[in-house]
Amino acid sequence: MTPFIYYRPTDLHEAAGLLADAAATTKLLAGGQSLLLALKDRTLRPARVVSVASLTGLGGVREQRDGRLDIGATTTYAKLARATFAGWHAEIAAVAGNLADRSVRSLGTIGGAVCHAAPRFDMPTLLTAAGAQMHLLSVAGERSLNANDFFNPQGGTHMTGAEILTRISVPGVDSLDALAFEKFRFRIFDAAIVSVACALKVGSDGKISKANIVVGALANAPLTAVATAAQLIGRKPRELRAEAIGAEAAGEVAPFITTQTLRQRYQSELVISLTAKAFARASASVMGA
Amino acid sequence: MDKTQTSNVKAIHGKLVGQSVPRTEDLALLTGTARFIDDIRLPGMLYAKILRSSSAHARIRVDTSKAAKMPGVHGVLAGPELVGRVKPWGDLMQDLLVGDHFPFAIDKVTYDGHEVAAVVAETKYQALDALEAIRVDYEELPVMVDPESAIAPNAPLIQEGINYEFGEGNIFDRYRVRIGDIDAAEAEADLIVRQRFTTNRQAGAALDPHGCVASFDSFNGTLTVYSSTQSTFMIRDGIADALQLPRNKVRVIAPAVGAGFGSKVQMFAHEVIASIFSMRLGRPVHLVLSRAEIFKCGTTRNGQIRHAELFLKKDGRIIGYRDYVIQNSGASSYWGNQVIHIGTNVGLLPYPIANVHVDGDIVHTNTAPGGALRGFGIPQIIWAKEQLVDMAANALGLDPLLVRQVNTIKRHECPVRTPIGQVVDSTSIDECLQRVADVIGWHEKRANRVPYEGVGMAISMKYTSCRHPSFDTDLSAIRLRLETDGTVTIFSSDVPHGQGHATFLAQIVSDVLGVGFAKITLAPADTANAPFGLGTYASRAAAVLGTACRMAAERLREKIVAIAAHVLEADPRDLETGADRVFVRGMSDSGLYFENLAGFSVYRTHQLPEGFEPTLEAVATYDTPTDREAPDGSGNFSVTYAGAAHAAHVRVDPTTGRVTILDYVMAHDTGVVINPLIVEGQHQGGFLMGVGMAMGEDYDYDEKGRMLNASFAEYQAPFAADLPELKPVHEIPAPSLTIPGGQKGAGESGTGPVPAVIGNAVADATGVRFTALPITPDRMLIALREKQRSGLAVFRYPDDMPDYTGPRDHTAWPKSNAGEGGLFL
Repeated sequence: MTPFIYYRPTDLHEAAGLLADAAATTKLLAGGQSLLLALKDRTLRPARVVSVASLTGLGGVREQRDGRLDIGATTTYAKLARATFAGWHAEIAAVAGNLADRSVRSLGTIGGAVCHAAPRFDMPTLLTAAGAQMHLLSVAGERSLNANDFFNPQGGTHMTGAEILTRISVPGVDSLDALAFEKFRFRIFDAAIVSVACALKVGSDGKISKANIVVGALANAPLTAVATAAQLIGRKPRELRAEAIGAEAAGEVAPFITTQTLRQRYQSELVISLTAKAFARASASVMGA
Repeated sequence: MDKTQTSNVKAIHGKLVGQSVPRTEDLALLTGTARFIDDIRLPGMLYAKILRSSSAHARIRVDTSKAAKMPGVHGVLAGPELVGRVKPWGDLMQDLLVGDHFPFAIDKVTYDGHEVAAVVAETKYQALDALEAIRVDYEELPVMVDPESAIAPNAPLIQEGINYEFGEGNIFDRYRVRIGDIDAAEAEADLIVRQRFTTNRQAGAALDPHGCVASFDSFNGTLTVYSSTQSTFMIRDGIADALQLPRNKVRVIAPAVGAGFGSKVQMFAHEVIASIFSMRLGRPVHLVLSRAEIFKCGTTRNGQIRHAELFLKKDGRIIGYRDYVIQNSGASSYWGNQVIHIGTNVGLLPYPIANVHVDGDIVHTNTAPGGALRGFGIPQIIWAKEQLVDMAANALGLDPLLVRQVNTIKRHECPVRTPIGQVVDSTSIDECLQRVADVIGWHEKRANRVPYEGVGMAISMKYTSCRHPSFDTDLSAIRLRLETDGTVTIFSSDVPHGQGHATFLAQIVSDVLGVGFAKITLAPADTANAPFGLGTYASRAAAVLGTACRMAAERLREKIVAIAAHVLEADPRDLETGADRVFVRGMSDSGLYFENLAGFSVYRTHQLPEGFEPTLEAVATYDTPTDREAPDGSGNFSVTYAGAAHAAHVRVDPTTGRVTILDYVMAHDTGVVINPLIVEGQHQGGFLMGVGMAMGEDYDYDEKGRMLNASFAEYQAPFAADLPELKPVHEIPAPSLTIPGGQKGAGESGTGPVPAVIGNAVADATGVRFTALPITPDRMLIALREKQRSGLAVFRYPDDMPDYTGPRDHTAWPKSNAGEGGLFL
């Protein structure tokens, strides 16, 4: 750790003001589960650290009248894991309760994870599949970005250094019928080697009307298997073979031909099996409903 | 607990040896009040940090001038200024390496993590800041990560300026075994199974870091070093020799040590660096390594490439073993070459093979130094040999269990001298083998196949302490003092770091003396007051230190009884001890209390018998009756041998490659078990370390020799949650006939069989025979896919992979160029 000035602003606007003063040399501290490690081994050396952990209005989950779920940026994984969400929103709690270890979940926040945007983290993949929106605030005002546009394919996010992520809006339960997340890691506390989230909505005719397949940990940002998902539209889940969809997705986001190392080859194999599992679970849930 | 052992415990009813006495160490450890090396604070203490090389092989020029001027900095050190002032080490022990260790690289770094410079400052943060101000110019040299590239004809030298007595180029030592007539065995064999096997690098990964606090007293010239070490006296002698100090002016004290597993058995550069700083400044200096540093320089398991061949008759009898071993001991090595000697010799057990021919080249590479690690070469040879046994059984159409039964030493044959010279004084390995087969359901599971499930087994024996070939001693010592209040203090220099010395030694002392268990205390290991001992390693504590303790207790008892006999005017032969008293046989309610006798011995010396030397102390040293290694590689290096038979039932997930251990059965022969609780913990811990070696751990280097996974986040040591449910270990004791108490070593016998067990079980489940470690899900899945594509019934990973560049069969194997001349000891 190298010396820095530590700020603990009392409200969001003060925090935004502190960021605006010196965005390039300031880091926000929420749960600290990524930042503190980077400070400890000196890979990050900010001149100023601004804590947003205890700012009122940034934590907690609220269901809006339109069914949207507004998740405050400093909501911890542990709090999400304990929440009882309706319908496919429950997958958010399940994912939050099955990542890293207990101490990380107790302190780590969903906003911190999303802003850190490590490719092997689960939440970016899940939130992209769910079609979440990220709400950002700075002294210049507020704006929001779809998860798709939020994560930078080159790594990190498209936030400016002066912005604070305030909340994440997950569309209401009506927007989808199922969301299933699958991942694989060698050890239970490891980050994912591959993660896959599959979102489905079916029309009254029983045919898929909306599909989203997102693959994490392969690239610097979640990859959306657009073509694979598009092929599902208008089909009945029952008619589809999960393994074939997995192979399709792997061909789209992790084509075997471009894989070089053992790890890359393994990842493309995992995309097949995890996509198949995620689709199978999502479609089972749809058919069950 | 096993029935045999239950009867054993009953037989010694009333005694503590054999009882699961809870460890007296645990309260401090579990409540966090134990003081480890990083907890030590001395008045005026400064903090040192080491700058380590970021290059694996380069000429260097170091400029420390800016760092010396940084805030809080008291001193800076680098290699060149110490030349001629510090004696290189590695040659403390006869025949071992000549001077390949120095506090810092002088003009060339040889591995990622090699010490380049160090700073001492008021705080550790100032020290870290100052490290960043040190300028190092690297002129990169070709990097050799794998040992085969390091022994290529034109490979650049890693250790320059050292003339190795037996080696050549980057081969710094050689090893040879010549037993029987291997050519005759080859001619006679009905079947020869051959395979090239490789093993991984594994870290000790002790949670308590390597580190020390050095404190030099400028007035009396004494250097005191607190170190997280396994061996106080070897560290003391090493530091004194390197700094050319009188040995009575160096004192080494071990605080609570949170494990070592062999990785803390040698002297390290940081211990010398902290000592130099403290001597220069006259202030205590704290130098504790970070986790990344420990991975990079805290010594690793030596990687081996074994070109192993097993010669058999049709009925499964093994008549010969031939091997050419290339051992990767990293850039410098202190104990690495011993690993191949001892590991290979003892690793041949429990089969008394008549014809053995082994050549070994011990090689430097630009990787982390190789050293001692739990199992000390046994897991490596077992990985090769016990998989060859399965391959042979399959080729002969025999049950692998039967092939093992045909070849293993039986209890009734003991004591037996094997062709290579081991004296197996007792064993139950044959019974252990049968037990694991029965409990795992060997025949049923093999008869009722479930796709992607399989069973595997392996057996091994681990030496109980060892006379190292380059190190002609195998001793430990104990001093006991009966204090004037009737309590007993045990002094030992063999550092406990998880073996429960304070508990099991007290059990022995309590039984022999008849003093209450709670009245016995183990003093911290301190060279200033403990008798000379080699340290705690090689599964030697219970057997060697325990025997010294028993001898010392018997001597002390004799002295106590002599005083009592004098006071009571009784014949000493009529006296007994027990309940903290000496009493006339049959009158256990009366007698003289130990505290009174101890009082006489120091405060009432007129009460003592004529000629009795006052005070009640006794010292005993036990050196095992073992052999030095003979020029043909033969010899009985170990006082007794602990047997282990393991069997596993595994399932492989064909969609992810994950190998799940559904069931794991262990049967062990640890002789007379002093404390079943401790011994079972040792076996379980040994198994877990074996699982790490088998299924996850390895040093991941890029082509430039940079270590990519030097953190617990990346290094794939297993977490508790990823391990199978632990089941009670089956203990089938065959008491040692050589060790007076009958005990055998427990620390390492749980590790040896594990990689081979998993390898055999995975092969049984999938038809994929792993020849490289570790067996990770990615390798497993890719191997399954390639097996499908290739259509091979048995697919070797990585030998049958399309992109494999190594030798695919024995016709392409390299041979040692050592020739037959000379002695290699």
